[in-house]
Amino acid sequence: MLEIRGLHKQYGKQIALNGLDLVVSRGETLVIMGPSGCGKSTTIRCINRLSEPDSGEILVDGQSILGFTGRDLREFRRSVGFVFQQFNLISRLSVIDNVMFHLVLAGLPKDEANHRAKMALDKVGLLHHGHKQPANLSGGEQQRVGIARALASSPSLMLWDEPTASLDPILVGEVLEVMEELVRTTQTTMVIVTHEASFAQKVAHKIALMDKGVVVEEGPPRLIFENPQSDIGRKYQRLIAS
Amino acid sequence: MLHFFRDGFYRDFTVLMLVTIAIGAVFSSGLAWAVDSHFGDSINQMIGDNGEYDVILHVREEAKEAALRELQRLTEHQFPKASMNETLTIAGQSNLFFGFPDEYKTQEVLGGLTGIFNGIPGLNGYTVILEPSILIRGVHPSVRSELQDRFQAISGVKFAFMDGLNMLVLLDSMEVSRTVSDQVKQILAEYQILELRFPMGFEVDTQQISDHVLDLVSVEVNAQHISNVSSAEYGEDLDAFLKTLVEMRNFLLSYASKVRIQADPGVHLVVGEQIVVQGMGDVLPVVGDEFATGQVVVEVLSVQGDQAEGMIIKGSIVDATSVLEQAGFRMRSSGDVSDLVGTVELENEQYRLAYTINESLRLLHELDELAMEATLAVDNADAILDTFQEALMQLEVLQVQIRQLNEGIAQGGGQSASEQLLLTLLLNGLMKNLAQGALPGQGEGSIDSLENLDVESMRLSLTNMAEQIGNVQEIDIRGIIDQIKHVRDSLPRLDDEEIGRSIRLINTYLGGQVIPGERVQLLVHQGTIDDKVLEPKIRDALDNPYVNIYETSVGMVNPDARSELFRVLKEIRATIAGMLAIGFVMGTLILDYATVFSTLKWVRTNKKVPRNKLVKLLNPVIVFGGVVGMISLALVYVFSGAEIPFVNLGVISGLGFIMGALIVIFAEKFSPIHTNEIMAGQSLGLSDVQIMREIVIPVSRPGLLNLLNRWKQRF
Repeated sequence: MLEIRGLHKQYGKQIALNGLDLVVSRGETLVIMGPSGCGKSTTIRCINRLSEPDSGEILVDGQSILGFTGRDLREFRRSVGFVFQQFNLISRLSVIDNVMFHLVLAGLPKDEANHRAKMALDKVGLLHHGHKQPANLSGGEQQRVGIARALASSPSLMLWDEPTASLDPILVGEVLEVMEELVRTTQTTMVIVTHEASFAQKVAHKIALMDKGVVVEEGPPRLIFENPQSDIGRKYQRLIAS
Repeated sequence: MLHFFRDGFYRDFTVLMLVTIAIGAVFSSGLAWAVDSHFGDSINQMIGDNGEYDVILHVREEAKEAALRELQRLTEHQFPKASMNETLTIAGQSNLFFGFPDEYKTQEVLGGLTGIFNGIPGLNGYTVILEPSILIRGVHPSVRSELQDRFQAISGVKFAFMDGLNMLVLLDSMEVSRTVSDQVKQILAEYQILELRFPMGFEVDTQQISDHVLDLVSVEVNAQHISNVSSAEYGEDLDAFLKTLVEMRNFLLSYASKVRIQADPGVHLVVGEQIVVQGMGDVLPVVGDEFATGQVVVEVLSVQGDQAEGMIIKGSIVDATSVLEQAGFRMRSSGDVSDLVGTVELENEQYRLAYTINESLRLLHELDELAMEATLAVDNADAILDTFQEALMQLEVLQVQIRQLNEGIAQGGGQSASEQLLLTLLLNGLMKNLAQGALPGQGEGSIDSLENLDVESMRLSLTNMAEQIGNVQEIDIRGIIDQIKHVRDSLPRLDDEEIGRSIRLINTYLGGQVIPGERVQLLVHQGTIDDKVLEPKIRDALDNPYVNIYETSVGMVNPDARSELFRVLKEIRATIAGMLAIGFVMGTLILDYATVFSTLKWVRTNKKVPRNKLVKLLNPVIVFGGVVGMISLALVYVFSGAEIPFVNLGVISGLGFIMGALIVIFAEKFSPIHTNEIMAGQSLGLSDVQIMREIVIPVSRPGLLNLLNRWKQRF
């Protein structure tokens, strides 16, 4: 489904990705973990071209996406759901409009888009909040709206960029629940960047540990956390144990 | 960066630019027009509507009421239905309007404005605001009538008339103003005045020079016609004043004491050097001593060989009655007496003049008395002649009577022979004596001689003499004497030093002024004058390196007063429009374009870092912003009719570029964007135009971009 080869990305003099390689199979849930600044967010931003890699290759279903421009790029992005750490909701739009507006702009009839938006909101338990403005929702609810927005277009690939990182610890649970539910109930390929080790242990088919722009360890959660081969893995092991 | 527009936002952006430019142009020109209109109305209130009045009379404020009464009288008696009004009073000068009725707007009436308004009390002058008209200032007298005829032949011209030195061309309508003005300028361009000016002090035979130069210029300048118009214009006050000064200087020079210097052998005198002589003082100049009271200092004015002439500049010899011949010594700048230079002869011209006048008066007195005496003498001579003539006649009668008596005795008239003999002898003796002369010893034939005297001729001579004496007496000798006395009394009472100083002052003044001396003017018709080529040739021909050559026009087309005011207003309007255009474009750059620039900058930060240093340096977004600012401002400026003095379109374009570039640099401060929302839009597969329409612009500052976007915004 997704294959990343030798990905490089540099911000000024700071190297974010330094020849990253990753493979994600269809329907697989990959959790990327690692210390801050190791290149996790950059990786998934490069996957949907929110950041342009300096070199390397990203293949989705065997097709390189780095050459996409214009309509092709937009089509590709519509097939990829993206959940942001900061929710990134359109503040002037209501909840329901936030979820459906991109569908309408993609050419879907408004009624159909509305229907799909309501379904997505229902999945995240916010159907009754559709008329509200995002500012009137809690952080967890706003993130769930963000999840619903990503789900509304029925993506084949979901990218999660630390979805709980900016939430109060009390609100993290409701988001993780939704995410767990989604992983369980959908066959969507997911790449999740998170620091939530226990969550990763629960939902991930595969965990990739990153450090300094490369994957230092990769494998099933049990293998990673029980017999870590890298320093980062051992740190997470200690974290889970504690 | 271009891909950002490629999705379709280029249409929105183009529409924004066009609307910005259109609204900017309308806004700038409209507001400027409103200001212009306001001021225009104010001007109309001040100087009346177009054509309402023809003349503004400037009168002293205190005489305003009297002037108005006089104008009222003019209106009632000379120009019925004339309009008049008063307007502003500025700096003690009131301005009164006067408008002639149409039937009086004739060449005759308008050509005599000075005469018409001459009697207005307190009049300081007037300004003709006749409309529509073209004013030509300073028309050269030599071409006035010719130009008048030519201007009147132009289609759309009613007539032309002179007003002082200016000519006004009255038009049929305002619409023909430009075309007539162009034709008038063309006609004026055919004529040029070539003027030769000589420095002050040059004695020039204008006619001779004119003829000489005329021949030369005729060869050098390929003109249809060249004529000498030197005498056409010479009435300037300054010229008169300078001429007076020159004459005064000449008079003072002739009035001053004459100084002649004979240099000793080997002595070389120089113009300007000063020489000390004893003068009327008692002390002889001594080498090394200082100038002493009573001594005289002479300045050398001209030198010819060993002789020189000078002028007394210190001390005086006004009391000298004879020529003084004294030793002259050089005077150092320190005031000390230096070496002997020769003999200085000083002649007191004032004394000589006073002496001559006094002698003349004496002569006249004597002549007057002489005439009276001569009259008496002539009268006496005439009386003597009468007496003489009478005596002569009596003698003749006596002679006849004696002859008759003698004959009677000879015939024997009762006397004895001895008595007869005695009587005959007596009578014969008497006859003989009479015949010989009235006086003893005068010889024979005296009576005949007396008879032969031409008494009538003598009388005629006396009459002529009396007549001439009478003529002399008819001369008003008393009057002459009085006038000569008056002249004598009027002579300046100046000593030599005062005269010398005055002459030096006049020379300094005349020398320091760049004022025309003698001048020659040539009128060149349809010729091309290159004064740089002509000047050296004329200087050579006249052998005078100081003559200057100028080329001037025969008149200058000036807009009329109202046109001038409205021209100024137009400039103000254009300037206001320019300022508004700059302000408007700056406003739109901040309110509208800054949003786009912010977005472009953010988009660019997520792209690959350019390797090319030039691209890094020349940030495309800044260049783009500069170009947007430049195009917007230049077009708004042009379409609004803006024109800021001394600022051309290039400068405006540059300013627009700088404004645009600055707005790009500070775009986020003017218009912050929600990058998270844009990123969300990108991740959801929205095109750039959709992101702009649905995410960026709706939350941007209210402006044209925001307004225009509402038609396209779906959420």
